[in-house]
Amino acid sequence: MQQSIRFFKNLSLFFLLLTSFIFLFEDRVVIPLWLQVAGRLHPALLHIPIGIVVMLVLLLLVRSQFKSKQFKKVLAISLTMATVTITLTAFFGLLLSFSDDYGADSLQRHKVSGLALAWLSYFVLVFYLSTSEIRMLKHAGILLVFVLLVFVGHTGSVLTHGENFILAPLQTSVPRVDSVNASVYQLAVMPVLEKKCFSCHNEKKAKGKLIMTDPSKFKTGGESGVAFVAGKSDSSRMIHHILLPLAHDDHMPPDGKPQLTGFEIDLLKAWINSGADFDKPLAAYNPTDTLVKLAGKTIESYYASSVNYTFKPATPDLIQKLNTPFRSVFPIHINSPALQADFFVKEYFTIQSLKELQQINEQLVALSLSKMPITDSDLQLLSAFQNLEKLNLNFTNLSGTGLGNLDKCSNLKSISLAGTQVTPETIKPLLSLPNLKTLYLWNTGIDTTQQHQLEKDYPTINFVHTAYKDESILTLSKPMLVNEGILTQQDLLTLKHTMPGVTIRYSLDGTKPDSVNGIIYYGPIKLDETVKLQAVACKPGWYCSKLLETTVYLEGYKPENITLLTPADKQYRGEGALSLTDGRKGFVDIFKEPSWLGFRENDFVSSVDFGNQPPTLNKVVISYSDNVGSYIFPPTEVQIWGGQSEHNFKLLTTEKITEPTGYRTPFNGFIPVSLKESNFQYYKIVAKPIAKLPKWHGGKGQKGWFFVDEVFFY
Amino acid sequence: MSKEFMDHRKHVTRRYFMGKLSLGVGSVALGSLLIPDLFSNSESPVASTGLPHFAPKAKRIIYLFQNGAPSQLESFDYKPLLNKMTGQELPASIRMGQRLTGMTSGQSKFPLVGSYFKFNQHGNSGAWVSEMFPNISKVVDDICFIKTMHTEAINHDPALTFMQTGAQQGNRPSMGSWLSYGLGSENKNLPAFCVLLSRGRGNGQGVYSKLWTNGFLDSVHQGVQFSSSEERVLYLKDPEGRDRADRRNMLDQLSKLNDLNYKEFGDPEIQARVQQYEMAYRMQTAVPELTDLSKEPDNIIKMYGSDCLVPGTYAANCLLARKLSEAGVRFVQLYHQGWDQHGNMVGEMPLQAQDTDRATAALIMDLKQRGLLDETLVIWGTEFGRTNYCQGDLTIKNYGRDHHPRCFTMWMAGGGVKAGTTYGETDEFGYNIASNPVHVNDFHATVLHLLGLNHEQLTFKHLGRRYRLTDVGGKVISGLMA
Repeated sequence: MQQSIRFFKNLSLFFLLLTSFIFLFEDRVVIPLWLQVAGRLHPALLHIPIGIVVMLVLLLLVRSQFKSKQFKKVLAISLTMATVTITLTAFFGLLLSFSDDYGADSLQRHKVSGLALAWLSYFVLVFYLSTSEIRMLKHAGILLVFVLLVFVGHTGSVLTHGENFILAPLQTSVPRVDSVNASVYQLAVMPVLEKKCFSCHNEKKAKGKLIMTDPSKFKTGGESGVAFVAGKSDSSRMIHHILLPLAHDDHMPPDGKPQLTGFEIDLLKAWINSGADFDKPLAAYNPTDTLVKLAGKTIESYYASSVNYTFKPATPDLIQKLNTPFRSVFPIHINSPALQADFFVKEYFTIQSLKELQQINEQLVALSLSKMPITDSDLQLLSAFQNLEKLNLNFTNLSGTGLGNLDKCSNLKSISLAGTQVTPETIKPLLSLPNLKTLYLWNTGIDTTQQHQLEKDYPTINFVHTAYKDESILTLSKPMLVNEGILTQQDLLTLKHTMPGVTIRYSLDGTKPDSVNGIIYYGPIKLDETVKLQAVACKPGWYCSKLLETTVYLEGYKPENITLLTPADKQYRGEGALSLTDGRKGFVDIFKEPSWLGFRENDFVSSVDFGNQPPTLNKVVISYSDNVGSYIFPPTEVQIWGGQSEHNFKLLTTEKITEPTGYRTPFNGFIPVSLKESNFQYYKIVAKPIAKLPKWHGGKGQKGWFFVDEVFFY
Repeated sequence: MSKEFMDHRKHVTRRYFMGKLSLGVGSVALGSLLIPDLFSNSESPVASTGLPHFAPKAKRIIYLFQNGAPSQLESFDYKPLLNKMTGQELPASIRMGQRLTGMTSGQSKFPLVGSYFKFNQHGNSGAWVSEMFPNISKVVDDICFIKTMHTEAINHDPALTFMQTGAQQGNRPSMGSWLSYGLGSENKNLPAFCVLLSRGRGNGQGVYSKLWTNGFLDSVHQGVQFSSSEERVLYLKDPEGRDRADRRNMLDQLSKLNDLNYKEFGDPEIQARVQQYEMAYRMQTAVPELTDLSKEPDNIIKMYGSDCLVPGTYAANCLLARKLSEAGVRFVQLYHQGWDQHGNMVGEMPLQAQDTDRATAALIMDLKQRGLLDETLVIWGTEFGRTNYCQGDLTIKNYGRDHHPRCFTMWMAGGGVKAGTTYGETDEFGYNIASNPVHVNDFHATVLHLLGLNHEQLTFKHLGRRYRLTDVGGKVISGLMA
């Protein structure tokens, strides 16, 4: 064991001397490439001595647990290992310092202290292995190694993580720039460099020897020359590197790091092209300069979002107290002292609730009293709000005589008075407000001629009226059928129109009503069968509405029983025969729902039983779907059969239906079939689907569908 | 649900408390190791406080969603080359083998087709608008067109869900819910997020309540769908024989009972429910005034068109949207269906345009004359665009277009947008983006930015990670902002 300890001790000395030699003659030695690879092991290797030395200190603390002789041995072995790894780490570290670009100051500190540590630990080892009996001194040496190790470790961490890494989380970053005179570089360009470049090109870690954080060093450039040529972005090295393909070794920022966006590149180019000035504020540039266009946006939004209000914020308690369901009070954004207040629901408005805002008279910058019942005399309450910028008084009861009260609110920029009775006379006091930019005057006592006069007299104020010109005549909307679905015998057909003053004319016989023809609608109508309703609404100054065309279904006699004699198609079986009398109409487009029965392969044949006391029937109405685009056609023929038994029917009537002549909008149609007064107990209804779709149809020659949802009996 | 109950019970035991404490201290320590700025008070991610992160440009949004994908080539993206080359094959150099839907992947030919409708330039900005939109043409100087929107999905439902929630799968909060969460309600008598539906006369696609879901956010952020019937909010009237005082008394008693239950179980949904009852009570006063259109002056009715008096139409929804927005509703979402013109472009699209053009322009003018356009962001948008080639038969009189996610047009007006401009350019075939693409995530990031929200900071922790509307993407497009 003694031998191996001696071997490691000598090995340490060898590396120690080698390291010291290289350290002294740094400038004259050339390190072979493979050794530089070894250097890169430094960051991994350094953790081993740290562990061992920490272990040594721990061992010292618990030494009473060991027998003295054993403890000495353990300590000797550990200390030897610590020394070997420390010297090796120092050696590798020195090699690494050749291959990488680090800031000079902190690197030098780390190098010197590292080498010192290596020598120290070697001497402590030699002393420990010596025959000296001063145990306390030996142990103190070990502690000294520990202390120096901590220091060296720290100087090293500064190289990789930067200054203040450990305490950084506890420090608040100082707001960057606050002065209006700050330069374009500081406000727009530097933030980009800060995000994408500074992490490698700073005082500590000057990759390529380029330091960008300090303007004068940035101007000087790095090891390969200047980074930019003022006025010439094309011949600037920095731009050249940025524009290289990502895969290229010299591309900046390197692959894997956050890349510059197109906008950021344009901005950097523009800054260089405009002279790469570090101190010039935005105002000093020519407004047509590309840099102004690009950076202007960033800078303006920077200022816009940080309007500096100098007044103190209101307390959160006060703000909360002022909030009621009918009065909202809140800061315009997080951390802003400026407040906005809005009032809602005029039924709950009281003057007291406006007075209470005096408690925030300093902070209030925006106030909306839109539609609240305030009068001119109430406006004196507003004179206290000296920082008010935006005031909304739309649709209040103002005549304007109280607007003079606002003359102290010299920060007012925008006032909305739409829907009030203000006149050119009464708004006079507002026009001398120094900061007023916009005045909304639509729907007030001020007409357009007067507005044009105001625009001439006060060119700095934007008077907003309306952009809408009432020139064309418009068409009214259709009248509405109030009771949709199937009417019961008690229901009345009811029409309405939401526009006041319209006349509705209608017909139930298929003739078209217009502004002069048709029956004028005065009130609900009693029906005695399903009808086709057509109605139109007219009003002077408007074109008559389009025609409302719809079928109004009326419930008829209910049979005791109804059955299908032929099956509906598998896919469209609805709820069987029950669908036909359940009083539910099918939707136009949705034929896969239970109201509809679909037939294609066979005719629709249904048998109806009215029981022992059958009513007298005059009419049968079949309600069907007309959706020719979906191959759903009206039937070609409908037959009604009657009989006193289920097995003995005679044909009562046949109705031929004309075939559609082209595509048309889908609708729900109905086929009325008149009967001579008949009172059979049983009826049979037959409808034949179209056998061959017509030539104009996309599915010509194929079988068509027949869809039925209801059958009515009158 | 039962997990919450159990958690609540655990709150009260000493053992649980101590256990939680030690775990808590440990995780704080660990957290500070993993997240270096955990203890710093600067620029740490801001959880929602119901306030903008910075000064907002707009306070409210009205989102006019044209569901089904109106063709950009027949509306705002003018491509005269397509008219010259109508009937010729789409060059492979343009298509570059990009994917097709199942509806046209079987086509052997992809004949280009130009717009049947004429385009003209309008306003000081000289924006090209098709003749189908004569009223929008009048307000182009208030509009910022985005010609280069692009999305990841090629079919309606995923694209629509992506556009509205930032994910294609449909379990995330929708945009309106994020805003309600991020900004809170301005008017506590109305929901912060309202949804209005209408249906046009063209081929339509469905919309579903997952598009206005609160997802994993608190259910108070869910979109409230207004009815298309005359009674826009159902069951708001007191039943016959009951007056407001009865109702108040009933709610007070009910809230006591709910309170007892909350103390026992601690289920946050109980409190959400109580809040909703209270809001419904206040809505009984606030809503009738909003939905009563009879007091609107004649010139407003003319401006929006007489359809605005017919409940459930797009025009009526636009007018109601204005009134809701005026009353402080953060996010009014309209959906207008019927824009899916795979065929019959010439027959259907004019009908769709007729139903929407006048009211859309009226909304902008109306907000402007009230001084509200500055603080309201109006968005006209859709889920994707349509192809430059014809789907189905190309005839002199008619044609159709398939889905096209690679480029489409949307526009914004009002609060903070660069009015009277066009952002981005598509190639002359209207197939690919030539410059300045805007991804759906970018669009969301920009909209949030206009509302004063940093899209990277508006997060909600769910299932172990923080979610954003923009997921892991999105950049604010400064070119869209004034």
